[in-house]
Amino acid sequence: MYKSPDRVRVIFAWIWGALLLVSISTAHAEKFAGIGRKATNHEIAAWDIDVRPDFQGLPRGSGSVAQGEKIWVAKCASCHGEFAESPSVFPPLVGGTTKADIERGRVAGLSAASENSKTTMMKLATVSTLFDYIQRAMPFDAPKSLKVDEVYAVTAFMLNLADLVPADYVLNEKNIAEVQRRLPNRDGNTIAHGMLEVRGKPDVSGKDCMRDCPVDTNTMLVLPSSVNGLNGNLADQNRPYGSIRGIETRRAP
Amino acid sequence: MSTRRCCRPRANSRFMSARRSAGRLLPAPENFIPDSLLEEISDHGLDASRRDFLRKSFVAASATLASGAALAAPDHPAADGDMAILQPSVHATRLGYPVAHTPYGLPSKHEANLQRRESPGLTRKRESSISFTPLQGLFGIITPSGLHFERHHAGWHDIDPRDHRLMINGLVSTAKVYTMAELMRLPSVSRMHFIECGANSAMDWASPAVPSVQYTHGMLSCCEFTGVPLSLLLEDCGIDKGKAKWVLAEGNDGASLTRSIPIERALDDAIVAWGMNGEMLRPENGYPLRLVVPGLQGVCWVKWLRRLEVGDAPFGTREESTQYLDLMPDGVQRQYTVIQECKSVITAPSGGQRLLDKGFYSITGLAWSGRGKITRVDVSVDAGRNWKTARLESPVLPKCLTRFNLDWEWDGKPYILQSRAIDETGHAQPKIAELRAVRGKRSVYHNNAIQSWQVSAAGEVMNVQIS
Repeated sequence: MYKSPDRVRVIFAWIWGALLLVSISTAHAEKFAGIGRKATNHEIAAWDIDVRPDFQGLPRGSGSVAQGEKIWVAKCASCHGEFAESPSVFPPLVGGTTKADIERGRVAGLSAASENSKTTMMKLATVSTLFDYIQRAMPFDAPKSLKVDEVYAVTAFMLNLADLVPADYVLNEKNIAEVQRRLPNRDGNTIAHGMLEVRGKPDVSGKDCMRDCPVDTNTMLVLPSSVNGLNGNLADQNRPYGSIRGIETRRAP
Repeated sequence: MSTRRCCRPRANSRFMSARRSAGRLLPAPENFIPDSLLEEISDHGLDASRRDFLRKSFVAASATLASGAALAAPDHPAADGDMAILQPSVHATRLGYPVAHTPYGLPSKHEANLQRRESPGLTRKRESSISFTPLQGLFGIITPSGLHFERHHAGWHDIDPRDHRLMINGLVSTAKVYTMAELMRLPSVSRMHFIECGANSAMDWASPAVPSVQYTHGMLSCCEFTGVPLSLLLEDCGIDKGKAKWVLAEGNDGASLTRSIPIERALDDAIVAWGMNGEMLRPENGYPLRLVVPGLQGVCWVKWLRRLEVGDAPFGTREESTQYLDLMPDGVQRQYTVIQECKSVITAPSGGQRLLDKGFYSITGLAWSGRGKITRVDVSVDAGRNWKTARLESPVLPKCLTRFNLDWEWDGKPYILQSRAIDETGHAQPKIAELRAVRGKRSVYHNNAIQSWQVSAAGEVMNVQIS
């Protein structure tokens, strides 16, 4: 079909215009020329391993309680104890939760009335956290050495120790949401407080009283003498000259 | 330097083997040789000039003994004057060291007592532990880089910056990777900010437990950080501002430590920093790249930063889901308690120190707030009954340590010293009893209570708590 020179010109103008628009938008996106490049999908997959409470990022896989127990005995028990109960190296992981806690979604042992030590399973509100941390940071001396199925297995074993899944359970990316609904402290957290935002309201504010302010020195608590020397000799932690020195707190041999 | 230091006679310990008389520590009379000469001899041997100096010192000391003035303090003049002036100075009468003798300068050997130190019983693994900054001996507001407190979760590394990458992904139009060289070409800012661990002062929540300000408040440092604003990088990747609510920061350590940062903080004054106090970050503090999130607790300042992921929800990582939770008396756990609230502490005179003399002292300390600038610091010497407003030394910057001073004359009587900071939001630092009334005694994090130091008639300062 014949095209008039004018029409050709108009078409060229459109093309030029479009090219110009593209180049402007590209220039806008690259305000800092030559700095940074697009991440490849393989790079993102290699590093983006985090798993969110809504299970965004959870890899497909599965692991049984029995498989988890084998890995646990070989790679975890030396620090955490056979039943994840040991406080000898790190705070205990499992213990202190009850059937009633599982029903309620709140761990009674966390309230002030309880003298129990706080285990990870008592505090844990999101099972994703357990999976994510084992995958990224455990074992302590060989982090990221577990395969995805092994992470599932170790997670399953810990959940079994906490009476959340039976001994023949096989944890996978589909049924992990069921476990979430049984976590003993799933409803135990709040973000309704004043320390999330700069403009948040503090719990308490002190007074700016300047004279004859109320003071109760009868209830004064003092550093117990039993700790004397535990932090070393304070004379050696202050300058050895001047009018302010460290007190000799060397422990008697 | 360190080998020399270890092999020297402990001149300082001789000095410390002193006795109390007339209200003042006095050196043993046999200590006629100046410390500096002892160290020179130990370093260089006893050559002719030093032998001559030693002989003169001995004569002078004998004369002093004979005149019965041996009990004079070392920095107080004898009958005819101060020996530090009357004797020829070993430093003023011989050549010193050449330039570049120590290509990277070190503190004087006389300052060796001020070091980062661990507190016993906190952790069983030193790779997942804490060392505390010696606040009792520091001046001004800047923490020397080598004394910045440490908190690692899986040990520290000295990463080759040529191998380090920063990835930004998630709710961005283009997920990008930056090299260190690329980041350091970007427009940078340099700002001074404090960093405080959320667990600073944790050991004293229930009652006084540690003896000195190094351990009560030493998970606190303040440096000038240089880097690129985080907002600039997020915009460079095309952040989806409509959906973005949180940014996950991830480190390149064994823990690949992750923490969720609220988007308001990320887009406000956060910095992706490589510089600290004019040089690169120290490896213990995240070399070559760390996140600086002013006003937020230290765990948010992810070290060895390798990845930032923009999300529409918090990520629920271990360091915000089983750790760094504020347990309330009813058993509810507060999550994402990121802000470090208004706080202050007197750093000298402070716990574990002793005043040797009566007379003039500066009561000196630090104040800070994660919500902005410090506007006022009051000091009490009578356990909080009466207060005087202290001098704030410049600069006074937002989310930065502020140094305060108050003139004081100690008359040898017992006192209880306190400081109380007020920030630009009007928030005044609370008493420990006021905090406990809300949060109970089992809390760990965010103890910003007023600190009390009891000064005894003997001049000894002790950690106490007043309701």
